Formats: sequence, structure tokens, C-alpha cells
Amino acid sequence: MKVNHYKLLILVFFISSIALAQQRSISGTVTDSNGLPIPGVNVIIKNTNRGTQTDFDGVYSVEAANGEIIMYSFLGYVSQEISITSQNKIDVILKEDVSALEEVVVVGFGTQSRRKITANIASISSDKINEIPTPSLQSTLTGKAAGVQVTQLNGKVEGGVKVRVRGISTISSSQEPLYVVDGIPITNSDESINDSPINPLIALNPNDIESIDILKDASSAAIYGARGTNGVIIITTKQGKQGKTKVSLNSSYGISSATNTRDWLNAEQYVELVTESALNVGFTQAGIEGQFDFYANGLDWRNGDVDTDWQELALVDGSVQDFGVSVSGGSEKTRFFMSTAYNNTDGIVRGNQLERYSFRTNIDHTLSEKFRVGTNSSVSKSIIDRISNDNAFATPLQAIAQTPLSPAYLADGVTPNNESTEYYNFLTDEFNGNFKTNIWRVLANVYAEYKILPELSFRSEIGYDFLSQVAERFSGSLTESASVGGFGTANAVQTEKYNLNNYLTYTKRFNEIFDFETTLGMSYEDSQRRLQFAQGQGFPSDDLQTLNSAAEITAGGSSRTRFNFLSYFGRTTFSIADKYLFNASLRYDGSSRFGDENRFGWFPAASVGWIVSEESFLNSSEVVSLLKLRGSWGITGNAGIGNFASLSLFQGTPYNQRAGLAPTQLGNPALKWEKTTQVDIGLDFGFLNNRISGEIDYYVKDTDDLLLNEPVPGTSGFPNITRNVGEMKNRGFEFIINTKNIVSADGSWSTSLNLSTIDNEVTKLPGGDIIAGRNIVREGETVSSFYVVEFAGADPANGDALFIRNTVNADGTIDRSTTNNFNEADRIIAGSPYPDFIAGLTNNISYKGIDFAFTFQGEWGASLYNNGGRFQSGNARFFDNQTTDQLRRWQQPGDITDVPQARLFATNGQQASTRYLQESDFIRLRNLTLGYTIPQDVTKKFYMERVRIYFTGFNLLTFTDYDGYDPESTADFNGDSNIQVGETFYSAPPAKTYTLGINIDF
Amino acid sequence: MKTLKYIKFIVIVLAISFIGCEDNLELAPEQSLLPEVATSNPANLQNILTGIYDEAGQTVSYGGQINLASELLGNDTDLSWNGTFEQPAQLIEKQLVPDNTFVRDYWLNAYEVNNQANIVLANLDVFEDESERNRVEGEAKFLRALVYFDLARLFGQSYNVGGGNSQLAAPIVLEAILNPSDITSPSRSSVEDVYSQVISDLLSAYSLLPDSNGVFADKYAAQALLARVYLQQGNFAGARDAANDVLQNSGHSLTATYDAAFNNDGNSSEDIFAWQITSQDGVNQMNTFWAGQAFGGRSGNPDVSVNSSFFDIFDDANDDRSQFFYTTSGGTATTKWQSQFANIPFLRIAEMHLIRAEANFRLTTAIGLDPLAEINALRSRSNAVALGSITLQDVIDERIRELSFEGFGLHDIKRLEGTVGPLNYDDDFLVLPVPQRERDANPNLMQNQGYGS
Repeated sequence: MKVNHYKLLILVFFISSIALAQQRSISGTVTDSNGLPIPGVNVIIKNTNRGTQTDFDGVYSVEAANGEIIMYSFLGYVSQEISITSQNKIDVILKEDVSALEEVVVVGFGTQSRRKITANIASISSDKINEIPTPSLQSTLTGKAAGVQVTQLNGKVEGGVKVRVRGISTISSSQEPLYVVDGIPITNSDESINDSPINPLIALNPNDIESIDILKDASSAAIYGARGTNGVIIITTKQGKQGKTKVSLNSSYGISSATNTRDWLNAEQYVELVTESALNVGFTQAGIEGQFDFYANGLDWRNGDVDTDWQELALVDGSVQDFGVSVSGGSEKTRFFMSTAYNNTDGIVRGNQLERYSFRTNIDHTLSEKFRVGTNSSVSKSIIDRISNDNAFATPLQAIAQTPLSPAYLADGVTPNNESTEYYNFLTDEFNGNFKTNIWRVLANVYAEYKILPELSFRSEIGYDFLSQVAERFSGSLTESASVGGFGTANAVQTEKYNLNNYLTYTKRFNEIFDFETTLGMSYEDSQRRLQFAQGQGFPSDDLQTLNSAAEITAGGSSRTRFNFLSYFGRTTFSIADKYLFNASLRYDGSSRFGDENRFGWFPAASVGWIVSEESFLNSSEVVSLLKLRGSWGITGNAGIGNFASLSLFQGTPYNQRAGLAPTQLGNPALKWEKTTQVDIGLDFGFLNNRISGEIDYYVKDTDDLLLNEPVPGTSGFPNITRNVGEMKNRGFEFIINTKNIVSADGSWSTSLNLSTIDNEVTKLPGGDIIAGRNIVREGETVSSFYVVEFAGADPANGDALFIRNTVNADGTIDRSTTNNFNEADRIIAGSPYPDFIAGLTNNISYKGIDFAFTFQGEWGASLYNNGGRFQSGNARFFDNQTTDQLRRWQQPGDITDVPQARLFATNGQQASTRYLQESDFIRLRNLTLGYTIPQDVTKKFYMERVRIYFTGFNLLTFTDYDGYDPESTADFNGDSNIQVGETFYSAPPAKTYTLGINIDF
Repeated sequence: MKTLKYIKFIVIVLAISFIGCEDNLELAPEQSLLPEVATSNPANLQNILTGIYDEAGQTVSYGGQINLASELLGNDTDLSWNGTFEQPAQLIEKQLVPDNTFVRDYWLNAYEVNNQANIVLANLDVFEDESERNRVEGEAKFLRALVYFDLARLFGQSYNVGGGNSQLAAPIVLEAILNPSDITSPSRSSVEDVYSQVISDLLSAYSLLPDSNGVFADKYAAQALLARVYLQQGNFAGARDAANDVLQNSGHSLTATYDAAFNNDGNSSEDIFAWQITSQDGVNQMNTFWAGQAFGGRSGNPDVSVNSSFFDIFDDANDDRSQFFYTTSGGTATTKWQSQFANIPFLRIAEMHLIRAEANFRLTTAIGLDPLAEINALRSRSNAVALGSITLQDVIDERIRELSFEGFGLHDIKRLEGTVGPLNYDDDFLVLPVPQRERDANPNLMQNQGYGS
């Protein structure tokens, strides 16, 4: 393989030797201080354009004449220059550049060295998130950062993802962190038309990402002021590097299935249980058999002619296909990164699919020593085949409610059976309908940086984020829209955001020991959203699916809305002797979202650090390589409320095609920012030359002036108003330990463990309890705790469902006696929807060409309420198919069981109670990758720098006692409610994926 | 020096961009009006009035669910609930829990209507034209009376003839609320007080409203509702006279056939007042629950099916009303709510005939028409054989034949002191619980008996 390389070199030399005849060939090897060869080192003859790079073995050969100087340079190493006298062979040892090797952390409006940082920032590099077979960027972060909980709502491919940084700090505002891509805050609002959220970041290609930095504490997040409370996720995309152009290709294909399925009654069991249920309430045998005859639609259910497994029809095998190419490189002046990628994910829920095309160009150009400009731009298109939200008969997983006696298809085997099903047959939606959503996303920014003085630079960034979504749905003449002859809707949304950042950065080192850096600037952000929609009904043919063919346009509309932010910010860091570190920042934020009286807010923060290991008593220690104490304090805000929440408003409400007006909200001109004061103390440590390193943090986040949609007496004509009332506290420990267990020339093994506790408490709620569905917000309790009646099983005497009264006796004790009258029992706090302990464990092992990595993720302390339980596991109160555990129902006096007597159409224990609440602790093998890099002497023969084949698994194993579908699958139609959480309702489990892939670098 | 210039330049650029931005923070909503504007002129106030009909006609209320409450709670064996919604299942089982969302929404919607009516009534002085002002005032009072009447009937124990009804109904709020500081936490008023409020509003509406008013409430809508209120109170003379006024003067008359009184896109001659539904506006929730799937109903096909025991009420097989049904996979559906985009008749002239006949019979008078003749006129429209003589029970039975599934079920049982299966008309579980969310938000509300503390 070297031969080709040499051929090229000879050619180069031949041309150059025409001019310089005295040149001779000089060769050698470049190694690091451990003696390991460094490939790709630039070997350049100073002041000429001649040069080469070292090969994989660190070997180079270059033509040079006496008196010339050879420069050896490589990123992360100190460059060397050697004058040529008489040598023919020059071996070079490059020293690692300590300052360059220091990890750099991206903070808002700048970067800082990890070593000197005084805040809590989690950084995740691209190699930790690449190749995880999920189209959702956030899902790759699961288990990777302490204090960051990432939950995909359920198994739909485009589905929403909840990211919670250090717990829940708000009740009514947004709980989502702020996402900043290459310095520009981006739109993160879901535009789904059917309540089932679409992940707004689905348009981003995870493979374009270089690093993700999560600003967790107030000291780091306060620079984003009013939007810092939920943490800030800073995404930096890949940049080209000076040097040889690198072409990388990645292709993978995987198959997926549901992480779990549940056991449902088969036809025989169903007949047994439902017959008993019917007879128990006085139906006749003939009557119930008539019902079974109806379901079976002419087939003989008595001898097993029909036994439909509806779950198998709803949860199918999926696939993931991913293909991407990137080209990066650059000269001294211009560096570039270009990529294009294609992703095709077939969901595990029938009819659900995602296709994404993405393109990116990042260019950075140095005009002069002082002036640098650049752009980061990406365009993507996503096409999603969508399905109904979890609360619709048309959603696939609601098929589990159908009886096994109903055939799925009519006799033709193709047409879905709607003649004899208990509910609408979801198969019809796919057979006779279409629901597609197209999303176009443009993220572009241009920046210019000018060094006014060596110490002072000015940077200006203009960003543009455009999200355009068109959702079209058609339901044909056989679907639920049959009565109107087909129904169609078209819905277009365009959200665009402009962002302008201008800031000055001044950096100076005084007297060799004082480092000073200050940043001062402004930011303006304007977001506008436009929506247009139309719907119509009565279609001449199921093949004509656009509204042009609708007989009648039944609704249409358009709307525009806008918000903006104007902010000024400043930050100063100061360090003495690289030991004593100080950091302070201040942001002044104004937004159109807030009332006249409180439009602007101040967000200060400060932090200090002491690198103890730099002190004389430790700096020579063999054991301690880093010991840093740090503490921070700061105030952040949350502005995630409606654009006009401070105003009383009337909206158009026509009646009989006559214009009408109605009040829609009661305003509050005093509305202001929610404020979170966060204190964080932390310790960073490294032992034995950083073989063992880690961080320990304890934080307290106190939020006051909570923006609450506080229920008011309905007699006012309004259900609630937005007020700044209430306080909440989040506390937690975060513990990270990274170990390099084996470091050798042949291989390495490193482990990273993160553990975090989260303790949430509502500390003040002047308006009293807020109850939504099964969740309560109550002073002294975790936000959104479950609030239900306590179930006590079946009365052994008569099979009645029993509930524990839990009423307060006259003497103040709790009455723990049971009752069969649900209304006599009081609700109790019965659990929390949020885990109080989460953990992630990642191992990376490499040996020669083999690399192996896996991440376990675990969550403890949360419960899930199955709101579908009353239908699914309700001792056959309805004709719905039941989970097999219902077979242990009470049948005769003396039976001790937790399943009450089956009574068709008579409530017996199906009310909201702890019967349907269960703890959902789990440990999951989140991802596992096994790769093999083919030795380079083989791949070079095929002109390839590097070839790696790999296997990746996603959600491979789940360890849990939870009986439902999956501890991470929750109802998607409550997406907007912050209070109604931890509920599942026919919610699909996530996908388990096995992928094979190949990376090739040229 | 040069660098100083740069700094100056940058400072100026920044300053300019800042000044420009500051003004932008003042944004106005583009889909909404502020209250000052919404209540500032007659046209907007008329719009708010029109908006009340839309509010009251919502699915959770007169769009269908309020009738469902009366029919399911008042049902013993005649109806079955086949639907998946648990809230109506609790109604038909008489197993209500205070967080039943249907119950919550009856309450919330009634007070939304009430507040919007109060807003109109508080801003009447923007009208220069007296007749316009009177009409608007009358309509607002009609709508306010309507919701209080149902609040009293659903959330309070039944009205005892002869007064002294201290049993609790629902709070009376007559102040317009457009400001958070105006919100109060009222206690429940007595059934007597709420009925008095209803009657006073309806009497006032009757005197203010014009003889006809398109699809909106006119004076005879107020009078017809008053007849219904009086009947519920056992004030038969009042009921008779109000019904008689409507029958004599409103110009409305029975449609030629029974069939023609239902499933109409526009109002029929028989509609004194109907909730307007079009394919573009309003949802006929009666259709949703009572129609087969092929006609727009829900998956129960129909969610509410009519059982064979109901048909015992008919005494003549040729009675059109006994044939006004169709069969689907889920059972027998009434044809009354078959059309998905039809109006929902609310005050039909047939009801006025029945009220007048019953009141005349009870009072042994014949104001307007002799009861026997009146009942036979109604029967003849449906091709049922004429009766030779009638008893009070005959009049009541005729009422059921004519008005079933239109929301009279529970209220007639209470008025007639009947039973629902084993439950006496005054049973605790034939009264709705005060919604849990309401008691959570307002500590001054007592819960009804039987629903915990």
C-alpha cells in the first residue's frame, strides 16, 4: 500500500525537483513521547509549498535541500522545526501540547478550559453518541450525563422526547431545556396536529454533531437568563480541520421489535371469562353467545376457527437504515465540513415510518490574522408516516382492546373487518387512509470575528432557523369518517426565528499569574409562527385524497403569532496563578411574553473555584493529579409560557356562521418570570495521573414565583388563570467516576459511572392542591404525585372490589378499614411519576482492532399509572380483551384474590385506584456496540484509510418488575400537560434494535 | 487611536440595534381582542352575545351531554350504554364519582355561559338603540336562565311543590368577571333561590324580546322555557298559561309528520328554539352518542341503544313514533339523532301541547284546548289511534312517547316522584356530585349527600 503513496510523492518531487536540483530525499518516523507512531503529521518545508504527511506508521519522506527548515505539526502536539544540514534520516518525537490537550468546554458565547471551569457542565463527545440506532438526537444522551433524564414518550419513531435537567423546576411553564446549536437558540416547539408530539429535533442528523455540552448549574446557564432554568443544551456541529481531506462513509442497517409484549386472553380464555362475567349480572347463556356469534362474523368461535392476536397486528418488526457521507478538511485559511445523510426508520408500531434527508456545510475562513468568518448551515427534510395518538381507536395499540373472537380481516383476507369488531379496526386507517407529515428544517448561521486588539475580539452572529411542516391526513370511506364520505385535512405551519448576537471578548494575562477574560454583548431573538389549515369532507373516490376533491370544505383558518427577546449580557472570569478561579455573569432579559409591569428581569450568577492540587503541598503528589473545589450561585428564569399569557383576551367563536366573540383567558398584567436560585457545590478529582477521575456535586434549586395555571372557582366563568404563585425545591447529589482500567499500546478499558439523586418538593402552594386526572400538586410533596384511592383487592365474601377508606377519624388517626363504596374512600398520595435515583454506566473497551462499548441506564423511584387498566385489566367489565392476570378473578366465597368478581357492564373495581398504579424501576442495556477495524495494511490496498464494521444494539435488555408494556412508555396525548404525567394509555413500548454497520474513511 | 475608533463604531452599532429592538417587545395578539375593545361598541357586544349561543351549544352541554345526563341517570332498563366513555357509564350505573369530567364540564360550561351573559348585561349602555338593547338584554337573560335552571335540576335535590326549597343547588353569580380580582368563592344557593332567579330572568326576557328573532331566542322561547320551569315546580297554572301563550301567539305549529320534526338542517315550524349545527360549526353530540356509526355515531354503534322494554310504552303499532328507530350492530338506535349535522331541537311546540294538556288536566280546565283533544291532536300527527278518554297517566305516557331521548328523562321522574329501578326519585345518587375540581378550587362548596365529605 505504501507503494501508491510513494508514487504520488515521486510525482510531486519530480515536479518540484525541476526547480531545485540540489534537493535530496529525507525520511524518518514521527512518534509521540511513548514511542508510538503518529500518522497524519504535516511535514512541510518552511516558506515553500512542498510537504507531505506521515503515513499510518508515522513514516514520511520529503525532498529538501541543505539550509531549509522542516516543520512538523500535528493538532494537540507542540510543533517542531528542524534545520537541514547533512541528515538523510530525521526521526522526530512530538511532545503533547498540554494546553491544547486540555478539554475545552463550550459555554454560552465562548469556550472555557475544562480544568478552569467553575460550573457544572456535562460534555458528551461525538464518539459517545454516534451509531446509536435512533433517529432522535436526545435519545442518544440517555444515561450519559448525571442529573439528566431523557425519556422517549413511547415507541413512535417521530415521538416526543422529554429531557429533564436536574428535575422539574416548573409546573405550568415549559420543562424543556433550551437548545443552542452553534451559538443560536433554536425552535423547540412541537407542531403535531394530533396531540401526539413530534420531536422538533428529529430534523437534526446526530452524526453531524461534534459535541454536546449541557449547562446544568446556574453559574453556567445564567448567561441564557430567562431560559436557563431547565438547563441549556449546547450542540456544536463538526468542523473541518486543516490537513488532508477526509472522506467518511457510514452505512448501517438494523432490525427492530418492541421491547416487550403483554399476555392477552386467547379466544378460549376470553369466552370463559366473559361468559362468566355476563352470567354474573343476569345475562343469559344464549344472550352472551349471541354476542360471541356477532364478533366471530360467521366463523365458529366454539371450535377455535377464530383467535385473533391483535397485539401481533399492531406491534410489528421494524427496521433502521442509515447512510451518511461526510467530507472534511481544509487549508490553513479555509476549513470545511460537508455531509449528507439518509435515515429510514420503519417503526415497530404498524404504519409508522420516518425518512430523513439531511445536508450540512460548515465553513470557517481566515481572511487575515485578525478577521475570521464562517457559516454553519444545514437543510433537512423529514417525511413521517404518522398514526393516531394513543387516545384514538385508530391508533394501532388500541387494537389490544378488540376481542380475539373478531377476525382482523373480512373473508377476502384484505379488507379490514369493521363488521364485527368491538371497536373501530385500526387496520382500516392504513388500508383506506393516509397521514403524512413533511418537515423542512433550515438552520443557518453566519459569523464574523474580528480581533480589534490582540486581547480584544468582537464576534457577531446572525442565525436563522426555519421549520416548515405540512401535515396532510386523509381518512377514506371505510374509516371512522365513513358517515361523511371521507375526511381530509391539510395543515401547514411555518416557524421562523432570527437571532442576532454581538459580543466583545477581552482576554488578558497580567503579571504572569492573573488571567482575566470578560465578555460583553447583546442578543436579539424574534420568532414568528404562521399556520394555515383547511379540512373537508365528502370525497368522490378514495383515490382522490387532496382537499381539491372534497365536496365541502368544513373548516379552515389561519393564525399568526410572535414573540421576541432582547437581552444584554456580560461575563467575567478571573483566575490567579491557575489556582483561584472566579466567574461572574449578569444577564438582563426582556420579552414580549411578559406583562408591562414586569417585562425585564435580571439574572446574575457567580462562582468560585480552587484547584487545590496546584498548591505546593499537593502539586508534586504522585497520587493526586487533580483536586478542585468549586461553588456556584445564580438565578435563572423560565419563560416557557404562552405568548400573550399576561393579557385578558376575547377570541372569535362563530355560531351558525354568524360572527361571535368569547373570552378565552383572564389576564394578569403582573405576570413575571419564574425565578430559580440555584446553589451548587462540587468537587472535581483525579488520581493516579487521572486514571481515576470524577466529579461530586450537590445542588439546591429553589424556584419561586412559579407560573401556575391556577384553578379558580369555575363560577367565575374561567377554569384557571396564570399567576406567579408557589415555590418548589429540587435537591440532588451527582456523582461521576471515570476510570481508565487498562491503558496499553494494544488496548484499553475505561469505565464511566454516573449516579444522581433528585428530590423534588413543592414548598409553597398558596392556592392549595392542584389536581389533574390522577396527579396532584400539593405542598410538601413531589410535584405531580399520584393521587388515587387505595385498592384492597376483592372481598372474599362476595367478590366486591374493596377500597381502603383512608379517611381521618375524629381522633386524627387514619381509618384503614375497607369499603366497597368507592365514594367512601379518600384519595391518598400513592407514588411519584419521577424517579428519585438515576444512573448510567458506560464501558469502553478496545483491544487491537476490536472496540466494544455498552451503556446501562437505570431509574428508580417512579411509578406509572395505567389509565387503560380499567379496560384492559378490569375483570371483564367491558367486552374488551383482558390481560391474562384477570383469570385469577374472584369466583366463589372464600377466594382470596386481587381481581374482583367479573361483572359485565357493572363497575366493580375499575375506578381510578392504586390497582392500576405500579412502580416502574428498571435497568436497561441502553446500547451496546462491538466494532472491528480491519488492519490498515489490508484496507490500504483498497485505497481506504480505515474500515470498521460494527454491530450496535439499542434497548437490548430491560430488567424490571413492571408489568405494563415498558417503564419508558407513556401516553402521548397529555404531552402538553406538565401535571398529568406518568400515565400510560395504550402506549407503545420503545423499539429494541439490532444494527450492523460499516464505517469507511478515505 | 485606530482601535479607539473601532470601539466607538461598534458601540454605536450596538446602541442602534438595541434601540430598534426595544420597541419590538410590544407585541399585540393577532387572533384576539383585548376586553376594552371587545366590550366597546354595539357590534362587538352583539358578537359576545352570539358567542354565548356557541358556548351553550357545546358538546359538553346543550350540544348533547346535558341531555345524556338526564336520560342515563333517569334510565332503569330502557337504555343500554355501549360506549367506551366511563363518564356516561357512571351515569347509567348511578355510580358517579366527583371527578367525573362530564359532570365537571356541565358546571364549568354553565358558568362560562353565565359570565358571558353577565358581561353582556354589564355593558348594555353601549347600545344607543333601545329596541336593540332590549333584545340583547332579553337574549342574555334567556341564556342565563337556561343554565341556572339546569344547574338547579342537576346539582340540587328536586323542587318540592309549595316552596321552602332550602336544599342546595348551585351558586348564583350575577357580576361580570373580566378581572382576576373580581373572582369570588361563592357558596351554593338554595334550589328556591335559583328557581326565583331563573323565573325573574325569564319574565324579564319575555318582556324585552321581540316576537321573532331568527334562530336566536325570541319572547316565546323565553315563555316556553318558563312553561317548562313552572311545570318542574308543579306550578300548573303558570305552566299552562305560559304554554298556551306560546301555542296561541308564537306562530309555531306541529310539523305535518313526526319525522319532519327531527334531523333538519334548518329550524322546522315546530322549533321554538333549536341549537344550530352545521358541518362547519357546532357538533351534534346527540348524534355522537345516539346514532349508529354509519351515521356519525361513536363505536358503540350506537353508544346508547334502546332496549325492548322501552317499546312497551306504545299502545298502537301504527304509531309513527314506535317506528322511529333503526337497528345497527350495537342494538336499536333512535332515529331522532340520525343526521350528523342537523340542528338539535330544544323547545318544540309538541312539548307545549303536552304541558298545556297536563296542566289543564290537573287543574280540570281547558284553557286553549281540551286535554283529550290536545293529546289526540298530537297522536294523530303520528298516526296513533285517538283515545276516547284520558287519565293523568295517559298524558304522562304520551309525553314519553313524544319526548323520549330529548333530555326529559330524569326531570320528569323527579317531578312525578317516580323511581329509577330501586332508587326513589329523591335518592342521593340521582343528584350529580359537585365537581371535585370545583370543590378543590372553592372551599365554600358543600358536597351533595352520598358523595363523601
